[in-house]
Amino acid sequence: MRGASILKANDDKTRQLNKQTLMAFSGEPGDTVQFAEYIQANIQLYSMRNGTDLSPYEVSSFVRSELAKSLRSRSPYTVNLLLSGYDPIKQKPELYWIDYLASSAPVPYAAHGYAQYYCLSILDKHHHPDISLEQGMKILRMCTDELKRRLPIDFKGVMVKIVDKEGVREEEYVDDKQVYAP
Amino acid sequence: MAAHTLHTLPSTNPSFSFPQHAPSGAPTQHSFYPYTDNGGSTLGISGASFTVIAGDTRLTSGYNILTRYAPKLFKIGGSGPDHKGAKIVLSVVGFAADGRALQERLDTLVKLYRYQHGKDITVHACAQRLSHILYNKRFFPYYVQAILGGVDEVDGSGALYSYDPVGSYEREYCRAAGAAASLIMPFLDNQVNLKNQYEPGSVQGLEKKQLEAKPLDRETVEGLVRDAFTSAVERHIEVGDGLQMMVITNEGIEEVVLPLKRD
Amino acid sequence: MDTLVARYSRPSHQDPAYTSDDQQQALADVAPPLSLNFALPPVASSASWLRAMTDDASNPNCPIKIAHGTTTLAFRFKGGIIVATDSRATAGNWIASQTVKKVIEINSCLLGTMAGGAADCQYWLAYLGMQCRLHELRHKRRISVAAASKILANLVYSYKGMGLSMGTMCAGVTKEEGPALYYIDSDGTRLAGNLFCVGSGQTFAYGVLDAEYSYEMDDDTALELGRRSILAATHRDAYSGGFINLYHVKEEGWVKHGFNDTNPIFWNTKLTKGEFSNVTSELA
Repeated sequence: MRGASILKANDDKTRQLNKQTLMAFSGEPGDTVQFAEYIQANIQLYSMRNGTDLSPYEVSSFVRSELAKSLRSRSPYTVNLLLSGYDPIKQKPELYWIDYLASSAPVPYAAHGYAQYYCLSILDKHHHPDISLEQGMKILRMCTDELKRRLPIDFKGVMVKIVDKEGVREEEYVDDKQVYAP
Repeated sequence: MAAHTLHTLPSTNPSFSFPQHAPSGAPTQHSFYPYTDNGGSTLGISGASFTVIAGDTRLTSGYNILTRYAPKLFKIGGSGPDHKGAKIVLSVVGFAADGRALQERLDTLVKLYRYQHGKDITVHACAQRLSHILYNKRFFPYYVQAILGGVDEVDGSGALYSYDPVGSYEREYCRAAGAAASLIMPFLDNQVNLKNQYEPGSVQGLEKKQLEAKPLDRETVEGLVRDAFTSAVERHIEVGDGLQMMVITNEGIEEVVLPLKRD
Repeated sequence: MDTLVARYSRPSHQDPAYTSDDQQQALADVAPPLSLNFALPPVASSASWLRAMTDDASNPNCPIKIAHGTTTLAFRFKGGIIVATDSRATAGNWIASQTVKKVIEINSCLLGTMAGGAADCQYWLAYLGMQCRLHELRHKRRISVAAASKILANLVYSYKGMGLSMGTMCAGVTKEEGPALYYIDSDGTRLAGNLFCVGSGQTFAYGVLDAEYSYEMDDDTALELGRRSILAATHRDAYSGGFINLYHVKEEGWVKHGFNDTNPIFWNTKLTKGEFSNVTSELA
C-alpha cells in the first residue's frame, strides 16, 4: 500500500529460508522484504558453507538475535514474523511467533495484527495437536471466513503454504465465496 | 516554590496570588479541578445478622496529614445530633468534601422519607436512592467511593452495598475501598469468600473441591477488620491514626474507635 | 390559624388533606422518580472536562475511574434467544468486581445487557424498565421489543456527545414480534439482528460464535455455544473474566441458566475436550 491504493493483490509475504523452513512477515513496508531477504541470504549461506540446514529452533534463535540487535540500532526493523519449519531430527513441525520487539515464542498456532483478535479464539477451540492436514485446512477456512465476515477493512484473500517433512509447497486456496455477518 | 518567593519581594504594586488576565480582553478559561484526594481506606463485611463497616480516621492532602481524626463513617437517617435510631451506615472515601455533601443529601432524603411515609426506609430502597444521587451527578461526579451497610428487613441478614463514583452498585459480602483497597480486597477475597482455598487433601485436577464460603460470626469479622487495617497501615502512607468501626445489628449501631499507628 | 397549626404539626402522611390531587403531586415533587436534571460542571465544555476527569483509556492518571470492560453476546435461533455475559468490571487495571450482573432483567420477558459504563447501563436500563411498565399500564399490553429499544436509543441519542458510554442489547419476546433482538449504543445506533457481541472481548466471542452459529440449533447446543464463546473471550481478553451468566429467552419468558465460575469451566474444557492446546509447558 502506498497512499490509499492497492498496488498488488497477490504479493507473496513469505520467504523460504532453507529446505524445511518458511518465514511469513508483516509490518513496515520496505523493512519487511529487506529483513526477510537478509535473513534468507544468511540462512542459505550457512547451509552452503556447512552442508547442513539449521533446524527451525536454530533459525528462530538467529532471527531473534538479529531483530534484537536491530531494535537497539539507530533504525530498527519494524517487522513481525511467523517462522514455521519441520525439524528432521525431532521429526516434528514447529512454529515460532516473533514480533518486532524480538519476542520469540514457540506456539501451536499464531497470528499477527488484527487477525489475532478474530482468529485466536477459533484456534483455541478447534486446534488439537494431532489434527490432520485436512482438518487444519478446515480450521484455516473458518479463520479466513471470519476475517471476511468481521474485519472492517476489505480482506483481499490469502496465500497458503504448507511446511512438512517434504519441504515447502504452495497450496491452492479457492477463496471466492462471499461471507456475510448473520 | 521558586515562583512563590518572587511574589514575596517588596513591591510598590499590590499583587494577586493568581496569574493576571492578559490585557487582550479575551475571556480566560482557568483549568477547573474541584477535587482533592484525601486518602484513607474503608471496608465493609456482612454477616448472617449484622454488617460491619470500618474506616481509618486519617485525612491527608498530598504528603501532608491534615488531621488524625476525620470520620469517614456516617450514621444515616437517625434523629438529633446523636443520630438516634439510625440503622444504616454510609462510608465514603476519596474527596472528603464530596463525601460530606453526599452524606448530608442521603441523610436528608432518608429523614424526608420517614416524614412522608411514616416508616423507616428499607436498606434496599436506601441503596437504590444513593445510586440515583450519585448518578444525578453523572456529568460532574462526586469524587467518592461509597459503601452502604445495614440489616436486610426481609430476612434479617447483613446487607452491604458498594458503589462506583457515578452510582453503579452491587450487593456484596465484603468490599474494600479507597487508597488501600488494592491491599485489603485480595485479603478479604481470601478470608471472607474463601477464594483459592481448597479442601485440604482433596485430589488434584478436576475433582479439586473449592471451600464454600459461609457467613462469618461477629468476632471473626471484627478480627479480620483489625488485621486488614493494621496491615494496610504498615504499607500505605495515607492510612493510619485511628480505626473507626461500626457494627449494625437489628438493635442499632455500635461504634468503636481503636488506635492505629500514627507515623 | 388552627388549621395551619394542625397542618404543619404532624407529618404529611397523617395529614387529612393529604389525599387531594395537588397534595399528592407536591409529595411526588419532593421525591422525584428517576430525575433527568443532571448537575453540570461550571465550564464551557462539560464533555471534554468530564473526559479529562474520567477517561482512563486516554489518560491512565485520571482522578475518577469509572467501572468498565466486558464481553456480552446474544443471538437468535429457532428456540428463542441466548444471552450470555462475563462478570468482570475494571477501573483502569484494577479489577473492581468479579461478580457483576451484566444481564438486567427488565421484566419477565425482556432482558438488557451491560457493556461500557456500568452506572450508565444500570441507570438507563432501570429507567427503561420504568417506561416499559408505564407503557403496560397505559396500553394494557406489554411493550414490543422494538418500541422498548427505541425508547432507549432516543434517550441516549439525546445525550450524544455528553460522555455516556454504553453498548447494550435488548432481547425479548412478544406475541406480535416473536423473539426479537436489538443492539443499541451510546452513539445512538440501533440495529435489529440475529447475532451481536459487544465489549472489549467481542472479537474473540465472534470468532467462536460465527464459526458454528446456525439458526436451526437445538436449545442445548445453543446454550453451550453461548457459554463457550464467553469462555473464549475471558481466555484472550484481560478485561473480561469472572463468572459466565447465561439466559435463554423463550416464548413464555426468560429462563436463567446459572452464574458459573470460568476457572473450573476452562479446565474442564481443556482437559476433557483437549481444547486450548496453547496452555501447556511442553512447547519451549
